Amino acid sequence: MTCDPKNNCTEYLKGLAEKRAQYASFDNEEKITWCSGCGNMGIQNALKRAFSFEGLGVKDLLLCYDIGCNGNGSDKMGTYSLHGLHGRIISAAAGAAVANTNLKVIAIAGDGGTMSEGINHLVHAVRNDYPVLFVLHNNQNYGLTTGQASATTRKGYAMNGSPDGVTTEPMNPSEFALGLEPSFVARTFSGDMKHMTKIFREALNHKGFAFVEVMQVCPTYNKATPSKWFWDRLKFVEDIEGYNSADLEMAREAAHDMNDSLAMGILYRDPTMPSFMERLKSREGLETSILVDEVKHYDVSGFLEELQ
Amino acid sequence: MSRTTIKIAGESGMGLVSVGTILSKALKRLGFYINLDREYPSLIKGGHSNVQIDFSKEPLHCLSQEVDVVMALDRVGLDEYVDTIREGGILVHGYEKRERLKDLEERAATRDVKLVYLPGRQVAFFHGGNELMVNMVLLGMMWKVLGFDLKVLEDQVSEQFASKPDLLKIDLEILRTGYAGEFACEGSDVEKVEFPEMEIEVPEEVPETILLDGNHAIALGAVQCGVRGYFVYPMSPASSILTHLALMAEKTGMVVKQAEDEITAAQMAFGAMFAGTRAFTGTSGGGYDLMTETITLAGMTETPLVTVVAQRPGPATGLPTWTGQGDLNLAIHAGHGEYPKIVVAASDQNSCFELIQHSFNLAEMFQVPVIFLTEKVVAETKSTVPTFATGDIEIHRGLVMDEEELQNLERTDRFKITESGVSKRWAPGSSETYYFGNGDEHLEDGRLTEEADTSRAMYAKRMKKMDAIFNCLPEPEVYGVNEKAEISFIGWGSTKNAMKDVIKECAADDIKVNYLHFEYVYPLKVDMLKKFIARNKNVCLIEGNYTGQFGDLIKLKLQDEGVLFKFKKRFLKYNGRPFFLEETMQFIIENKL
Repeated sequence: MTCDPKNNCTEYLKGLAEKRAQYASFDNEEKITWCSGCGNMGIQNALKRAFSFEGLGVKDLLLCYDIGCNGNGSDKMGTYSLHGLHGRIISAAAGAAVANTNLKVIAIAGDGGTMSEGINHLVHAVRNDYPVLFVLHNNQNYGLTTGQASATTRKGYAMNGSPDGVTTEPMNPSEFALGLEPSFVARTFSGDMKHMTKIFREALNHKGFAFVEVMQVCPTYNKATPSKWFWDRLKFVEDIEGYNSADLEMAREAAHDMNDSLAMGILYRDPTMPSFMERLKSREGLETSILVDEVKHYDVSGFLEELQ
Repeated sequence: MSRTTIKIAGESGMGLVSVGTILSKALKRLGFYINLDREYPSLIKGGHSNVQIDFSKEPLHCLSQEVDVVMALDRVGLDEYVDTIREGGILVHGYEKRERLKDLEERAATRDVKLVYLPGRQVAFFHGGNELMVNMVLLGMMWKVLGFDLKVLEDQVSEQFASKPDLLKIDLEILRTGYAGEFACEGSDVEKVEFPEMEIEVPEEVPETILLDGNHAIALGAVQCGVRGYFVYPMSPASSILTHLALMAEKTGMVVKQAEDEITAAQMAFGAMFAGTRAFTGTSGGGYDLMTETITLAGMTETPLVTVVAQRPGPATGLPTWTGQGDLNLAIHAGHGEYPKIVVAASDQNSCFELIQHSFNLAEMFQVPVIFLTEKVVAETKSTVPTFATGDIEIHRGLVMDEEELQNLERTDRFKITESGVSKRWAPGSSETYYFGNGDEHLEDGRLTEEADTSRAMYAKRMKKMDAIFNCLPEPEVYGVNEKAEISFIGWGSTKNAMKDVIKECAADDIKVNYLHFEYVYPLKVDMLKKFIARNKNVCLIEGNYTGQFGDLIKLKLQDEGVLFKFKKRFLKYNGRPFFLEETMQFIIENKL
């Protein structure tokens, strides 16, 4: 709905005020501890915007944070959160999401936790299509431990602990995820609030595992790819002629380039893929929908009789 | 107590398990109590293994070392087991190259062990069967030796192979030939078997029992107390919990998920518990090593979490398919930092069924991790036990669920410093009042803090839950005479089963024995313990590891209480085998007052 001078704008303004109030409700009293210019602020705010637009409130959300700079946001947003262990948050989030599919469970982790420490969890979360929105903060280094190289640090750059320069080629997280037959892979940029918000909203509406890579600036430790470097290379899929986000091969091809042209947007989406819960035969035709509401005595006498 | 022990020995894949299943069910139909244990190497096919069944007219709990009848399915089975047969016992076999068995026959003869033989393969082939059906020849012979009614066995064979009617017909013919002990066909080197007669009294009544192992009982207990998720990575001897829960899932609706590794399994169970349902995981020592970081997260975020640790001996891979009690210290001490926890140890089927339910209650009431120990001999030994009492263990969620209360929560209620250390817990999404489950040190609402006084207060808040837990746990139980025993034991886990049988045997011989059994091993209750050591003068430790981990725990605890105590003897075993009846009796005879 838009405000047209010919119509009464009251409804529109009311809706806007509600969204603004909802956005503000995610604030809390904690002080932000990220560096000035850190991409995390933008990501957090874009998440709040997406939640507000989608009408998601405190009772609808569980934010699960990994360890790293991103994790220092775990007590900065006014909603339920879990601040877990390094590299493991995808699995904890998956457990929570499976237990309560009424919650929107968001897992948030950096490139260190995701592409090194816990890469196995990422692999199998994609394969299982757990109902989780996963936000990868890819700032290409270990910020919280003061700037060591990560699996996505560009080759040749000197980092804390790698004074002679990183000797390995960087991993490409989105391309990696696309290699796992995913149901949703998107890429966005921490400097582009509007685009992030749009991508998060789309991801929130995906029923399975939504992998969102946020290419993120780290003004303190990542001198290789500052904000301008990204802006010069962003290539939105909407601007790629004939781009079809239902075409996995096309997505893989688009995601490949990390030097000259960074494909941004919903790289791939398959809304028809049955999600984790839909694949479970044991859950077919059950009256209740969430495990959280099902904890009660179950009669096992039938099973016991079989053992007589 | 008179018991009979039989053993089926052969290579894995020769049909030992199906013979074991048939025999156990047939014995159960006759009214016997049984204990069935499988000794096997960590291989799927090949490698030597055996199934042992102890049976008796009266309930029995442990296994015996000496065997009355061995059924050897192959040459290795003959060689390996002939010397384990009790003097005057019987060896049933079908090994046709008997000229090669001269030495074995002599060894058997010196101990009056009788060999019972039919040419196994010839009989099987004669009836149109195959090599695998040799087990039916021997099964028939063994049943005859035991002196039981063929019909009971035929029924079980028919049930076992009902899905293959053509083969079943042949199986039954072979079985009957074995039972009759007559095979007068061309080329046969024996026409009629002279069966030695065992005089085993068949029970007059068939008691109402169920036949299952500990893992199955854990699965049933979990279903009963409302567990809705099982997240696991396979590891012996915990693996069959997965099997059972997965087979039941279509009826229970439980989410049973084999994850990519133990860390994931623990994290998913943790995440599901954090979200407010009941879920758990299971593994053995090595897998638990991988899980411990997650256990500390449960401790720090005050999230209930139940983990089954089915013990097997040794560090690294150790003896993957054998039994032991070496992971008590692991369960009590693993994980960095300090956090409150509860360690329980199941001892038998009923204990598995009930203790898993209590574990969930304790975990949720105190918002702590519970480590649930079993051992291979508890997890995988099948026994006939009285059927379980269903529905009499109440579910305690320790979770705010009342709508009005949910509306009136403060954010700081979640980790509020209280007298007991236990604060209110509510499921994410159930109230407009949110909180942060923070693995970092945090304030009462979960916001991060590094401030000294607050950190100290929150640390202490969590740790003092141990006092509340200690006060709530039940005291250990005494088996046998109440006081002035000639010999006493203290133990946990499967040793209860050996002690129960031994106490009965000793009572018949007028030897006064008693045993103090702990199901709740940490925190350790002390009142009954103090009474027990005061009332008995010759108190020994019985434990399945090298160092006597539980013995040390007891000593330290008593020392804290100002009681200087030393076990008179430490009866320790760490060769992968459970405590057997005979060796425990021997220990008593040698060490009683």
